[in-house]
Amino acid sequence: MKRLLACTLAVLALNALAEELPVFKLEVRDGVFAPTRLEVPAGTKFKIELHNTGSSAIEFESKPLRKEKVLGPGAQSFVVIHGLEPGEYPFFDEFHQDIGQGVIVAR
Amino acid sequence: MGQVLFIVWRESVEAMLVIGILYAWLKAHPEAGAGMRYLWGGVAAGIAAALALGGAILAFAEFFAGDAQDWFQIAMVLAAALLIVHMVFWMKRHGRTLKHDLEAGMARTAVTANWWGMLVLVMLAVAREGSETVIFLYGLGLAQQGIALLQFTLAALAGFALALATFGLLQLGGKVFSWRAFFRFSETVLLLLAASLLVTGAEKLVALGWLPPLLDPLWHSAWLLDDSAGLGGLIAALTGYRAQPALITVLLYAGYWVVIGWLSRRSPPAVLAQVRPAGT
Repeated sequence: MKRLLACTLAVLALNALAEELPVFKLEVRDGVFAPTRLEVPAGTKFKIELHNTGSSAIEFESKPLRKEKVLGPGAQSFVVIHGLEPGEYPFFDEFHQDIGQGVIVAR
Repeated sequence: MGQVLFIVWRESVEAMLVIGILYAWLKAHPEAGAGMRYLWGGVAAGIAAALALGGAILAFAEFFAGDAQDWFQIAMVLAAALLIVHMVFWMKRHGRTLKHDLEAGMARTAVTANWWGMLVLVMLAVAREGSETVIFLYGLGLAQQGIALLQFTLAALAGFALALATFGLLQLGGKVFSWRAFFRFSETVLLLLAASLLVTGAEKLVALGWLPPLLDPLWHSAWLLDDSAGLGGLIAALTGYRAQPALITVLLYAGYWVVIGWLSRRSPPAVLAQVRPAGT
């Protein structure tokens, strides 16, 4: 239990460190991303702040970015991307795959 | 509603494969009957963990923000991969000798330890995808009312029934095909699944900056088979296929199969094939 607490604190501390990163906001409403295209600087660590404003759960997922994050309705969270080569990185909402698509462009 | 059905099936099919194969093996080895309780114990623990984890992610989204959830997932997938490999080789090794070992009163503690490993393995398999199903269903269920809620519930149940059919198909396969062929198939499915879990873990470590990608991506094959959607997504989940893998991932994947090949040579595959399922 103590170890769990220590881990939790360590994680919170790491998260606090992550606060300093450049932030890009991404809103998802029942599978619809806004914006659907995010331009980010290549080679720098940054944060994507996800906000699920819809009434259903979403799963932000990107195979090329190697990220997945589940968000309940109304939830807010973020993912940290550790620097990208220049290029296009598509992402989608796995729970609304027919509509939820977008792309991150690193340059 | 097709989406609901597909996602519930898709999220449960991995766990169903694991449970179905272990169940078929235990059925074919009556002397391993004690394992059955651990199998169902693992299922129950997995469902409880999925509900707890799903609830926690819904209630404390900020706690699971950033890298925290990734670390948690990495621990889960790597532990699950290790346990699957262990279980496959344990079954290979003990398929024939278990009865004798137990009768001789030997290895009882070792066998019990193995059952506990199986319990944790099943729990992880159910909890990992199950927690996502919990969040998915919760979110959608909240948004529905009246007839729509009923349709939604039916679609979710149909998806689960489809996953159960996967389980049934495996049991049928164990009876229709020769036990040897069936175990060959099961073993391959489980080892591929473990490889896929290893790839998932490796990719998360790369994404966190803990593993150097070396060369990224090594190739682009999304034009051939997209790993993000439909069939490609399912193949990616069950085999570890990636359309844009980093070199390190490919190296680990290849290394994994080298280790598996080496382990296989140490325990000849014929051992298991000697046992016929009960009643045949």
